[in-house]
This record gives sequence, C-alpha cells and structure tokens, in this order.
Amino acid sequence: MSRPRALVVVAAAAAVLTAMNLSVWLAGASPRRVLALMLAGTLGSSYGFAQSLAKATPLLWTGASVALALRARLFNVGAEGQCLAGVLASAVVGAALPASTPWALAIPLCLAAAAAGGAALGAVAGWLRGRFGTNEVLSTLMLNGLMAVVVTWLYGGALRDGAQVHTRDVVAGARLPMAGAALRAFRGSGLNASFALGLVALAALAWYLERTRGGLRIRALGSSSGTASALGIDPSRTTVRAMALSGALAGLAASHFVLGVKGYAEHGLGAGVGFTGIAVALLGGARPWGIALAALLFGVLAQGSLAVNAVVPSDALVVVQAATLVAVAVVGAGRAVTR
Amino acid sequence: MMAVVFLAQVLSAAAPLVLASLGGVLSERSGVTMLALEAYLLLGAFAAVVAGLASGSIVVAVLAAALAGALAGALFALFAVWQRASSVVVGVALNLLAMAGTRAALKVLYGSSSNSPTLPTSEGMRGSALAWTALRDALSTPTVWIAPLLVALSALLLSRTVLGLRITACGEHPMAAKGQGVPVARVQTTALVLGGAIAALGGAQLGLHQHAFVASMSGGRGFLAVAAVILGRWRPVRAAVWAAAIGSLSALEATLASGGWVPTVVLQALPFALTLLAVAGRSGKARAPAALG
Repeated sequence: MSRPRALVVVAAAAAVLTAMNLSVWLAGASPRRVLALMLAGTLGSSYGFAQSLAKATPLLWTGASVALALRARLFNVGAEGQCLAGVLASAVVGAALPASTPWALAIPLCLAAAAAGGAALGAVAGWLRGRFGTNEVLSTLMLNGLMAVVVTWLYGGALRDGAQVHTRDVVAGARLPMAGAALRAFRGSGLNASFALGLVALAALAWYLERTRGGLRIRALGSSSGTASALGIDPSRTTVRAMALSGALAGLAASHFVLGVKGYAEHGLGAGVGFTGIAVALLGGARPWGIALAALLFGVLAQGSLAVNAVVPSDALVVVQAATLVAVAVVGAGRAVTR
Repeated sequence: MMAVVFLAQVLSAAAPLVLASLGGVLSERSGVTMLALEAYLLLGAFAAVVAGLASGSIVVAVLAAALAGALAGALFALFAVWQRASSVVVGVALNLLAMAGTRAALKVLYGSSSNSPTLPTSEGMRGSALAWTALRDALSTPTVWIAPLLVALSALLLSRTVLGLRITACGEHPMAAKGQGVPVARVQTTALVLGGAIAALGGAQLGLHQHAFVASMSGGRGFLAVAAVILGRWRPVRAAVWAAAIGSLSALEATLASGGWVPTVVLQALPFALTLLAVAGRSGKARAPAALG
C-alpha cells in the first residue's frame, strides 16, 4: 500500500458516485430518483437487505480467491472459469448422491467437489507458470473461454434434465439452509449459509496466510524472489499451490449458487462473479476485512441495479464496478499488489 | 465450392483477430500491457453498427469504429500512462465497461439488451452461385482487406519510422528514451490511441459481417488476440500470422459444424485449447518488451 487506505476509500467512493450519476443520467433518468429507488430496494427493507447479502456472497469467495493469488504476486483472472468449474463439479456430485444421503455427508462432499473443480483449473495455470513460465493472466483467460464453452455444451446436452434447461436437482441433503427458513423477514431472498461460510473462509484465509508455513511460502513468493530463495522455497511448487488454493476458493462460490439458491446448475449460473471478484480483491486491498466490505458494497450495488432496472438498464451500473477498479488502480492500491 | 466458402469464412473470421492483435502489438511495444483488446472489439463493433444504421454508409461505419477505438485507447492512456495505474487492472476494467456499457446502450438506443436491428445487406445477395456470393460478401466488407494493409503498414511504422523507433525505445528502456529527449508518455499515448483504433476496426469487421451488434459478440476473440501478440513475439507480421491461424480455426468451426461431422463443442473449444498449448510451448522463447508493465 503506497498511499493511505483512507485515500483509496474516498477516491473509490467519489468515482463510484460520479460514475453512477453519469451512467444514470446518460440512460435518461433522474439520478436522485434512481438513488432513492436503489436505497429502498436494498437497505430500505429486510428483503432487500438479505438480497444484497446474497449478491455479496459469491463475491466473498471470488474476492478471497483473487486476493490469495495477489499475495503470491499472481494475477488470477480465472476466478470466472474456476467458479464455473466449481458449479459444474458440485452439481454433478450433488445429483449423483443417493437421495437419502444425510446432510453431514452430502454438504462436505459437494463443497469438496466445488473446491476440487476450481482447484484443478487453477492448478493447471499454476503448473504452466511454474513449468514453462506461461503468464497466468493469459492462461487463466484461455481456461475461462474453455470452461464457458464446455459447461454450455454439457448443460444443453449430456447433463440436461429432460425437458428442463438445467441439470438434475442435487439431493435434499446437499442443500445449504436458507436464511428465509429461519428468519421470517428474510423469506424469499437468496441469502443462505454460503454467506456465513464465506466469512469463515475469509477469516481462515487470514489465519493461513499470516500464521502457517504454507501461507508464509505464498507471501514469500509475492514479496521478492530473493526472499523466496533465502527461505529455500521451491517457486514452481508454491505457484501451483497458490493457484490451486485460489481456484478452490473461486470454485466454492458454487456453494452459493448450486447448494444455496438454485439446487442445480444451468447455463450462465456463476458467470461474472470472477471478474467482479478482481474488483473486490483490489478494492479490499487483498485483506480479509477489506474484501468483506468490498463484497458488501458490490452486493448492494448489484441488488440496487436490479431494483432500478425498470428505470435504468441494470448493466449501466456495471460501469460503477469498472470505475471502482480504475479508481483503486489510480490511487495505487492496485499497483502495490499487481506487477 | 466448399473451398471457396471456406476461404470466405477464413477471411471474415481472421480479420477481427488480425486487427485486434495488431492493436495489441502497437500498444505493448510501447511498454503498456494490453488486455483490453476484447473491449476494443466490442466498442468497434458497436460503433460501426450504430453509425451504419444511422448513416447507411459502410465507410462511416468503419470510421466510427476507428474513432471509438481511438477514444478508448486515449482513455486507457489517461489512466495507465498519465495516472500510472496498473495497466492490467485498467485493461480488466475497460473490458467490463465495454461489455456492460454496450449492452446498456443497446437497451437505451434500440430497446433490447441482446441485439441491435440488422444493417441493410448489400443487394444481389441471392445470386445462384452461393459460394462465390459468400466470397464476394466477405470481400465487400472493407475491413477484410484493410487488415493485411494495416499489417504491412504497422510493420513499416515500427521498423522504419521515427515514431516506431520511439515506441520501441519506450517499451525497451523508458529511462534511456527519456534521456534522449523522447517524450515517453506522449509516445505511449500515441501508440495506445493508434492501437485502439486498429483493434476496433476488427470489431467493425465483426459487426459488419453479422450485419448487427449482438451483446458480447466478441466472444473471447480479444483474449485470443492477446495470445497471438505473445505468440508472434510482439512483431506485427508474426502476430498477424498467429491471429490468422487462430481465426482459421473459427472458420473451420463454421464449415465443419454445418456438416455435423465434428461436435460443435470441440470446435468451439479448439481455439482456446490450442492457443493455451501454443503459448505454453513457446513462452520460454518469448521475449517481451523489457519495460512491459
């Protein structure tokens, strides 16, 4: 962090507000009315609040994913594809289990599948980087393209559930509890236990990076090659490990989609959260609490853009994400953590 | 006849990738990492279709695409060169912006966030010799023959002109270039604006070929073009050859898919998979501009 965090936050907030007003105005609506609608649709009601948290949930995972790689000075642009891999893996495993599988078995198995799917894709990029020196930005972009093609094909054909346009439902035991089942006020929202799991994962990530040997290796890889070799670290192996772990976190975003909200996989499910995760990780300074706050901000924005969709196309508000990214990069937080 | 159809498809499919990779070469030779080729393609396609619909002129459409790309390149330079933001992050942001921005603008302008109205096609499309019509149709899109022309011009620009040598100097050793009195930031801005304009012409090809703008119609071609830049070792002609090779794979897809001999998924996945392999196989030998960042 070359410049103070406060400056990052202020600059990002200013950019967000400017971009939001500008895009709303360009789309031909009144910024004040849109802002009021957004607030009412997000923080103004318990349903909107729960929906905002639900929208933030996959971003907790992908933000953590990108941040972990950044700490090793690896730029994982592949959280997008790794999330798709996690969605695919958990949906396949969840549907293949016997219908009577108890939750204590089904949920860990599905989470492991999601993590393994993402980790496999991440590990490929890490291996290519360690073995051949292939730039991970490029390889993960290619893997994103590959995954998108493969899942579209699978969901439209081999994995299609009869007349439905999605895969078979996962078994009942594999479904994560929905917040609406416990709290009447949250009924109907997509908020589920994946949100809590994501927060736990962020805390675990902080602990892993700061307090364990594996985490030290990853940070050493990120600090400088001198530090890494002084500690006797094998850069290739650590690169594979960092990318696999990063991929696993991105894959676990599937827990929100497949095990939480939907119960199955379909075309387009999980798309977009990988790229937004980059914005979340950078805005959060690649630190757990920062990531949690950034994910919440983007969650509110995502839900808010749906709330105003009738007045302004919700896509206009993605402009806000892009502006945030640039603002953070300009203020310098981005430069400190990327090359 | 099959061969003629295939040739027409190769020409149409290769042009966007060739132009995008050229834009990437120009930008990266000046020392700025360029991941926003996907954005340039989308913006170019969008500008070309909007201008084409408004004016009815293919020339205006192509010029509008170049202008949109130049503006996007200038925006990139504003943040990555003048504000010294990480060019990787600016690239990712610009891609996001273009993807969502074109969809939102589509909704505002034409009331649909998935596709624009279709451009009027040139007359005489329903001739008897369909194969030759396909070729003529491909060649009637100006960007198809602009592409090889620009490959040659970019190669000459980089190797034979003062601007070209300055661009390379900024990419290899900006401090030394500065010491020689080269205005580094201005040269990089010029390279980015030129690169943006050229890459966006590739987008114009996409839009004009399909006679409409479809949301996310670039479909990852910008990322494949980034790979072509690296595979071509930052040289215009070599990058263009790689881009054309990758583009031919997509043409193969169109031809073979209509025959139904090979599953479409294999053909769609092929460009990404082969590019990944090619990049892995050659990355040991690649030498990027020394100051690329």
